[in-house]
Amino acid sequence: MRIRNRVIGAALAACCLICAAQAADLPPLSHSLTLQAPRPAPALKLKDLDGRLHDLAQLKGKVVLINFWATWCPPCRREMPSMERLAQAFKDKPFVVLAVDVGEDPDTIEAFNSELDTVPTFPILLDTRSHVMRAWKVAGLPTTFLVDKQGRIVATAIGGREFDHPAMVQAVRELLRK
Amino acid sequence: MRRLTLTLLAAWPLLAFASEPSIDPETGLATWQTETQGIQVRLTQISPDQARAFYQARGFSPEAAERYARECVFMTVVRNVGGVPIQHNLANWRYVSSGQPPRAIRSKVAWEHLWKRQGVAESARIAFTWAQLPATQTFAPGDWNQGMTAYSVPHGAAFDLRFVWRAGGRFHSGILEQVKCAHEDS
Repeated sequence: MRIRNRVIGAALAACCLICAAQAADLPPLSHSLTLQAPRPAPALKLKDLDGRLHDLAQLKGKVVLINFWATWCPPCRREMPSMERLAQAFKDKPFVVLAVDVGEDPDTIEAFNSELDTVPTFPILLDTRSHVMRAWKVAGLPTTFLVDKQGRIVATAIGGREFDHPAMVQAVRELLRK
Repeated sequence: MRRLTLTLLAAWPLLAFASEPSIDPETGLATWQTETQGIQVRLTQISPDQARAFYQARGFSPEAAERYARECVFMTVVRNVGGVPIQHNLANWRYVSSGQPPRAIRSKVAWEHLWKRQGVAESARIAFTWAQLPATQTFAPGDWNQGMTAYSVPHGAAFDLRFVWRAGGRFHSGILEQVKCAHEDS
């Protein structure tokens, strides 16, 4: 009972446990993309929070930013607002953001979204059993891929990013020109 | 691998980084950080209560969460702050606490076996797996990651951590000295 009570007492802090790491100074978000020789992107076909199916194969002709994340992952939480700003910056361009949540249910994600100042407008896809994440050979969260108009992975980013940093915006802009 | 381990152990005293931790004024939890040869490693204490609550919130039974909370848990950040890619492999890391030989960090595979024996649900095991620091990963310049690492050291006790990485075709190592586990009541 003692342990149970203490757990309840700590539950708030544990929402972002990792809030332990959020203490005085957070690990800074990066703003680099690692360019790669283009290679075909693995399949990605998942339902979003509303049950709509999204298929990467249907997005040829668009630049796609794919972000693997989870609500319990601190850098994932921190980079989400800047990802929304990036999506808004290119909302009139052939640019799509897909956020693939790993291993969580819609209720958990909705609860997280409700805490944000701005609810993401891009689709949040559900990779409940992390099969897609494994197919993409993601080793840790967050990991982000940039896919060109031909459906090829051309850049990656491991770890939290400030997606609306000028360097990131410029990388997307250049890809849109090609 | 044995040769690598022996070589790196021999170099231990030369590469040690004893640093004063920074203390979070709100939680009292401590962070140790070092940066050398293009890598930055940072360990922040996670209190036993935080570990219990985190995993119970993700479907662990109180007993299973308690098993993990018995460990000395840190939020661990590895970052490439240099100009060339680095590869880390947790299997090469070693920690030494008082009176103990160097030990390896328990692998995610080993934890997975334990959780299966304890009947932890698959969704909870998935959350556990991805919440740990990846076992192996390559970081391009600017890349980083964070996740939990757990050490079989009593709460409140100290240990030295030797972290190992590969860059430019060579193995490198560094030490964080006198890292302290969070107290049970922290």
